[in-house]
Amino acid sequence: MSGLPYISPIYASIVVVGLPLLAFLLQAIRGKKSTSGLFALVSIALSTLISGLFVLPQVWQEAPVTATVHWFTIGDSVFTLGILLNNLSALMQFIVCIIALPVHIYSKAYMKGDPGIHRYWMYLSLFCFAMLGLTVSKNLFMMYVFWELVGIASYLLIGFWFTKEAAVAANKKAFIVNRIGDIGFLIGIAILFSLFSTLDLVDLFGNEGVFAAGLYKDTGLITLAGICFFLGAMAKSAQFPLHVWLPDAMEGPTSVSSLIHAATMVAAGVFLMASIFPLFNANVLLLMAIVGTITALSAAYFALCQYDIKKVLAFSTISQLGYMIAAVGIGVWDAAMFHLATHAFFKCLLFLCAGAVIHEMVHHKEHTKLDFDPQDLRHMGGLRQYMPKTFVLMSIASLALAGFPLTSGYLSKDAIIIAAFEWAAQHGPGYIVIPIILVIVSILTAFYIGRLIFKAFFGPIRIPQIDQQAPHIREAPQTMLVPMIFLGLGSLFFAFSLNPLSYHQAEILTGFSVRYAFEEIHSLHLVIPIVLTVGALCSWILAWKWYVKGKYPLQANSLWITRGGEQFGLDELYKKTFVNGTLALGRASQWCDKHVLDGLIVHGTAHVVKSLSRAIYWVDKHIVDGLVNTVADTTYYIGHLLRWVQNGRIQNYFGFAFTIILIGIVYLIFR
Amino acid sequence: MGLLSLLIFLPLAALLLIVLLPKTLQGTFKYIALGFTLFQFLLAGYMYSQFDGSATGINQLSGYRFVEQLSWIRLDLGGLGQLEIDYLIGADGISLPLLLLSSLVMLMAVGASWNMQRKAKGYFALLMLLNMAVMGIFSALDFFLFYIFYEVMLFPLYFLIGIWGGVNREYAAIKFFIYTLFGSVFMLLIIVGLYFSVTNPETGAHTFNMLYMMNPGNYIDGSFFAYGSSNAVWGIPARMLGFIVLFIAFAIKIPIVPLHTWLPDAHVEAPTPVSIILAGILLKIGGYGIIRVCMSIFPDASASANWWLGLIGVISILYGALNALAQKDFKRTIAYSSVSHMGFVLLGLASLTAEGVSGAMFQMISHGFLSASLFFLVGVIYDRVHDRYIYHFRGLANIMPKYTGYVAIAFFASLGLPGFSAFIGEAFVIIGTFNAESVGTGIPRWMAIAGSLGILLSAVYFLWTLQRMFFGKTRLKGSEEWFKALKDLTVREQVILFPALALALLLGTMPFLVFDKLNASVLNLVTLITEQL
Repeated sequence: MSGLPYISPIYASIVVVGLPLLAFLLQAIRGKKSTSGLFALVSIALSTLISGLFVLPQVWQEAPVTATVHWFTIGDSVFTLGILLNNLSALMQFIVCIIALPVHIYSKAYMKGDPGIHRYWMYLSLFCFAMLGLTVSKNLFMMYVFWELVGIASYLLIGFWFTKEAAVAANKKAFIVNRIGDIGFLIGIAILFSLFSTLDLVDLFGNEGVFAAGLYKDTGLITLAGICFFLGAMAKSAQFPLHVWLPDAMEGPTSVSSLIHAATMVAAGVFLMASIFPLFNANVLLLMAIVGTITALSAAYFALCQYDIKKVLAFSTISQLGYMIAAVGIGVWDAAMFHLATHAFFKCLLFLCAGAVIHEMVHHKEHTKLDFDPQDLRHMGGLRQYMPKTFVLMSIASLALAGFPLTSGYLSKDAIIIAAFEWAAQHGPGYIVIPIILVIVSILTAFYIGRLIFKAFFGPIRIPQIDQQAPHIREAPQTMLVPMIFLGLGSLFFAFSLNPLSYHQAEILTGFSVRYAFEEIHSLHLVIPIVLTVGALCSWILAWKWYVKGKYPLQANSLWITRGGEQFGLDELYKKTFVNGTLALGRASQWCDKHVLDGLIVHGTAHVVKSLSRAIYWVDKHIVDGLVNTVADTTYYIGHLLRWVQNGRIQNYFGFAFTIILIGIVYLIFR
Repeated sequence: MGLLSLLIFLPLAALLLIVLLPKTLQGTFKYIALGFTLFQFLLAGYMYSQFDGSATGINQLSGYRFVEQLSWIRLDLGGLGQLEIDYLIGADGISLPLLLLSSLVMLMAVGASWNMQRKAKGYFALLMLLNMAVMGIFSALDFFLFYIFYEVMLFPLYFLIGIWGGVNREYAAIKFFIYTLFGSVFMLLIIVGLYFSVTNPETGAHTFNMLYMMNPGNYIDGSFFAYGSSNAVWGIPARMLGFIVLFIAFAIKIPIVPLHTWLPDAHVEAPTPVSIILAGILLKIGGYGIIRVCMSIFPDASASANWWLGLIGVISILYGALNALAQKDFKRTIAYSSVSHMGFVLLGLASLTAEGVSGAMFQMISHGFLSASLFFLVGVIYDRVHDRYIYHFRGLANIMPKYTGYVAIAFFASLGLPGFSAFIGEAFVIIGTFNAESVGTGIPRWMAIAGSLGILLSAVYFLWTLQRMFFGKTRLKGSEEWFKALKDLTVREQVILFPALALALLLGTMPFLVFDKLNASVLNLVTLITEQL
């Protein structure tokens, strides 16, 4: 890039992060008037350009560039704001830009005419800001801030159609499940802070950091920290058993699903794991490998049982994220990042193609005024004739997902599976289960995506129609097709490696140059690709027979399929245990508040005091006052008795006087 | 007269003006109140900007700024010596942010009282009296003066709830009054005990000066509250007893579980502006009292009792949150969320780490204007339809988009979304509490983890409320009539809400605006107590 002027990558990346923020603010201020999405589009286009021209080329394969400014001091501890640009962060930033840009362009056509469009662009810019900020954060505290901000952007976009009950239930669920992970992240931060008094990624995990200096990692607290951060990643990257929010998140607009819930945000967990990789000791890594593998397998199975086109893709995303986490777990975080990059392109494309199909299905539904679910695969079929370009693009993306040669997915998936075998060979016989499951998942993946393509694009037209009229389905408009074509090119091998058959020349892997803890086994590099490719081909032949030729041998209503579609009741289980449990606890504490604290203690005390005062009043009235009154009454009575003496009649007075005199005389006489 | 005295007694001038003006001019009362509180706010802001963060406060008068000391009462008591009560006020990093917060919340409360027609004279007069009392509480450094302000505060609140409140106002007012009085009466005993235990080193007379009470050297040997004295009441050492009694007095204000049941009733029955003051300022007096009085005067007791304080904090966080989840009245939900959020304050203080105590202070400030905004938002809907039962509303976002926007922002700010102030407070309470075990202050790590569950639960109850009342298809209990009545926010309402939420964003992104002022004081406090460990 010699022709370009040199701009410090730090400033360039500040601009990359800042532009979407600016767009967000401008759109927030303009409010309802801001329907064109111009700010969002321009900002992300510029961000992509700057990231691609001034950040990635200048950082890639160079020494990490950092910048730190003081943020605030609390007590004696200093917290900073910083930007860290190394291979990992610059690459991630660029991936986010390069995926976000086509999705923005696509949205222009896809979301046209929506009454809430001004909010859509605003939220999208907010998401881009948060996600780009997350990628280049230099310390964990900052990362946590952006980590939650992407969560809120995701919340807002899932619930974009807020009058839909399912959408607002889904966004609440997404946010709360992610909060569980956030708490893990926060506790992880607290552990590292209390151990090392710093949260700086370079100071902790850099080449001269605490962990590079050979810290003893097998302590309980460091294991706990590892598990806590992994919990954060599990929620964000939808790992079993915290994956339940992602299928529901498909209630958001499809363009949002493709950007946030397939390509970028959900991969943030993997990115976090790669960023803090030195933290993890062997126990945590094994846990990751196991959780990732379980996720990959279970989600692939659930994907087989779905009829909703977006749900198939959602479970597929979960399954692929499981691959990435498993890759981190076996220590090849570079392969995980490679898969993250390739997956971003082809999964984004899959969603955009699905969006194009749904768009036309909805169009048909509105035109014919029939009532059917436009996302249901059972209503599709034969769309190949109407949407040939979409069909081709979706097929390319599907091949990449299945890991077929000449696609990008082939390279990255092989990198993970081969490494997994090598890792297992190093560790012992029991460990071989993990790579074998990953192979099975790969074949299942080929099968479910083949099923999707065959059901949607081949076979007879199953769309509900009136009087056999031609369905109102056309090819997607140019504005949607162009970004899809771009992503389609990105799903092919040459976007990542000039050698279509071996991942060793892949730029991303050579760039990270991670030293593996296990021996390379050369024979695997030949055997595994052949096994995977043959497995995929076989599964497609089977799928072709079942879904196109109509020789479906299974009972569609069998328990394995219907229950699998409901994830074997996992959601209900959560509802019954955690949701209802929490609500019951809430009611119990309310009851306690009302009847024990307020009822028994406060009102009880009041009652006792009142009764006591009544008793004292009684004593006062009847005993104390009674005594007083008795004295008074006695005095009164005596007075009453004597009263008639003073009656004012002179005769009486004379009578008294004579009587007294008489008594006196009698006394004197008898003395 | 110094700036701080001016700040305290400005409302008194407003009060006099309001009382003296004839009833025919009652339209002007709100303007008088607004003018004075606005000036007070600007003055507090100016003082805040002039305050240098190096002032260490707490136990050294030299660490305070805006100090004013006048001898107030001198009485020769013969054998008991000289009675010495000073008018001693000052501000440090702990009190000044709370003074600024109080003036802001008062301003919001006056704004929320704009349509108050009934007995406007009495209403605004009492509001100004309350204003003076809280400013005095946050400034007083003499315990006697502190107590006077503390009791004066009760009087206007009782009448504000009891006269201008809702249906059940008498019950709520008396419950509030008796609860608080219960605490403060016993506080008086401790004040007297302290008075007889402490002497002014300069004059040798007994003193009410709180700063002298914080210095172990000023205690008379063998006196009731002397350090290391063997005095005990029912087997509780005297100093621990003093701490407990004072703690209960302030804990009622915070409030802690199980001494919180006055709060939901008082909040629900109080008129909106009084709810705003209750949540925004009154609860902070509890937290402030614990810092200024309990922890500073009894550092030895707080060092040994902090495990219990932490436990009470955790219980308050979780119990308050669970209760908030179970409420069906919008205002009660918010009231219980206050209990939960103030639990973080206690937990952070108990951690005795600089991060935890700073986090607690930050949480108090943040909760001050956030809960004020939340109660104001409840008031908006209650003003319009006189109902706030959660299930009577649905899909408000369709008819009141601006209101929904403000509610959503206030909710997310309160549930600790990064970028808003509550996040900084809660995160540092958790981090500080977690760190406590490493520092050795006796707070176990599980308390931090249990406390963090409160952050999760706050997301649950806020989002659930959002979902139930604001999203979905619009359906209202009062159908057509309510549709007409539920107008979106007026300009006045937005003028009140916007600054509070903007402040939440400002402090969330630039927390140094607060931390720079309080760091030195917090460190001094932490040293004062950890020395006693």
